[in-house]
Amino acid sequence: MSTLNLDLSNYRDLLKQYIRTQDETALYQAEQFSKLSMQQNISPEEIINVHIQALQDLYPDLPEGIESSMNFLLEAMISYGLAYQEFQSLREKQLALKSEISVAANMQQTLLTTVKPEVEGLDIGAISVPANQMNGDYHHFVQNNQNTLGIAIADVIGKGIPAALAMSMIKYSMDSFPENRMDPCTILESLNRVVERNVDPSMFITMFYGLYKPETSKFYYSSAGHEPGFYYNAREDKFEEIEARGIVLGVTRDTEYQQYEKTIHPEDMIILLTDGVTECRQGDRFIESEEVLDVIKTYMHLPAQQLVDQVYKHFERLQDFHLRDDFTLIILRKQV
Amino acid sequence: MNLDINVVDKESVAVVALAGEIDAFTAPKLKEALLPLTKQAGNIVEVNLENVSYMDSTGLGVFVSALKSTKENNSELKLVQLQDRVLRLFEITGLTDIINIDSTVRGGS
Amino acid sequence: MEFQSCVNINKEWDIVGARQIGRDFARKIGFGTVDQARIATAISELARNIYLYAGTGKICFETIEEIDHKGICIIAIDNGPGIAEISKVMEDGYSTSGGLGAGLPGVKRLMDDFDIVSEQEKGTEIRAVKWVR
Repeated sequence: MSTLNLDLSNYRDLLKQYIRTQDETALYQAEQFSKLSMQQNISPEEIINVHIQALQDLYPDLPEGIESSMNFLLEAMISYGLAYQEFQSLREKQLALKSEISVAANMQQTLLTTVKPEVEGLDIGAISVPANQMNGDYHHFVQNNQNTLGIAIADVIGKGIPAALAMSMIKYSMDSFPENRMDPCTILESLNRVVERNVDPSMFITMFYGLYKPETSKFYYSSAGHEPGFYYNAREDKFEEIEARGIVLGVTRDTEYQQYEKTIHPEDMIILLTDGVTECRQGDRFIESEEVLDVIKTYMHLPAQQLVDQVYKHFERLQDFHLRDDFTLIILRKQV
Repeated sequence: MNLDINVVDKESVAVVALAGEIDAFTAPKLKEALLPLTKQAGNIVEVNLENVSYMDSTGLGVFVSALKSTKENNSELKLVQLQDRVLRLFEITGLTDIINIDSTVRGGS
Repeated sequence: MEFQSCVNINKEWDIVGARQIGRDFARKIGFGTVDQARIATAISELARNIYLYAGTGKICFETIEEIDHKGICIIAIDNGPGIAEISKVMEDGYSTSGGLGAGLPGVKRLMDDFDIVSEQEKGTEIRAVKWVR
């Protein structure tokens, strides 16, 4: 098909052809014409103007009423043209914002990167997937020279950019704590002061901090209002909730956190998660925590990393591949 | 899902009845309704959550800011008739220790 | 340059009067139908802004004649509350437009040159120029 020009003679010829033949080809070309016009930012009122001129050429004795009516139409189209131009400019803005956010998301990813450590006698699996571009969940492994392993898992209320900003603050604070003060309760107490001072009252953070000492097989932990994890007792083949009381970070000043401890036996598992896991929805229905455990049970024979990956895949599918909340799951298993 | 907010503001007691879900989309609306009530000194703000079937952490945020506001303005916040799922959220986060929650009468089914 | 014609804006009906005078002005200067319609729409927006936000003000029209081109200058003056954040009002999608492409960004699109001077509690003066093509 011939290339179209956006000029008057071309439009007039097309119109003439259509009036004479009522031919679908001319209509198809009109469609092309309107697309080309949009590409070149031509407003609807200009097209109507071209139409008026073409009509005047074709019918020199056009009744005056018709001409006035066309002018009336032209006026009516002006605001459509403006709205269309605004839409275009907003679309460009949206693209710019999107790319800005993806740069920020990359920065966050770099900042929050944590290396899954190698700890003798421990099989570790971890997965964290944001619902949107930015992750409001956070998990971090800290390994010090005494071979102890610190695990932080946290969730900022809300999602998206504000959550990610708060999370970055937590990461910076944790990095600045001296290594010899690794007690879970001490860490939560320090973080609570940071959050209380620096974050808006309507925003707070939940965190579970655990510390595993391989030489004694002991797990020490404290919770700041975090979604309770689970403990798998291999000997009895039973799951139990890891109970730990404590208020969320950032709400009260000078909070003291209780510290708990547990001895871990071979094949036992510690399961840490965020509410993105337990608050999964299937349609309008919330899943029950037993269902999470059932899924874990199904894949329990796998190595820890494959296990958490499979659990994620299960819930991703259950929610039609659209996460409502950030999803983080960590599983530690003591090897025989 | 939506959140219906019904406020009966009598002398010194405001009863706020909520119905629906409190999440990131409805929380701003709740905050807008709740905060002005907590700013009247001496006011008791009673929030009835009997018909709230779901609340996420954004909702907790609203109640925490409302609580802070009552401390600053000498008013009182009280939550009543929470459904189990919603109450659990307050328990996990330890907020039951600082917010006045009457859980003797449970809401929902 | 002197003001050649002004219309006071006190009530909504005055917007129509301002459009009419502006359109006649534009026609005499030599603008075509499309540009006349655009100029009238820009006048509408400016007059409506005065009516809505300042209460009263005026719209004036001037012919600009330079050696190689001719144009119209629309001047909208009010003694209203002024605009606190001009960059915000000029942003696309800002509340006054309501996604309809209207408001001051719309005026800017309809015209060739656009300038605002505004002082809070004192008022606003907007000048918008369109050249005959």
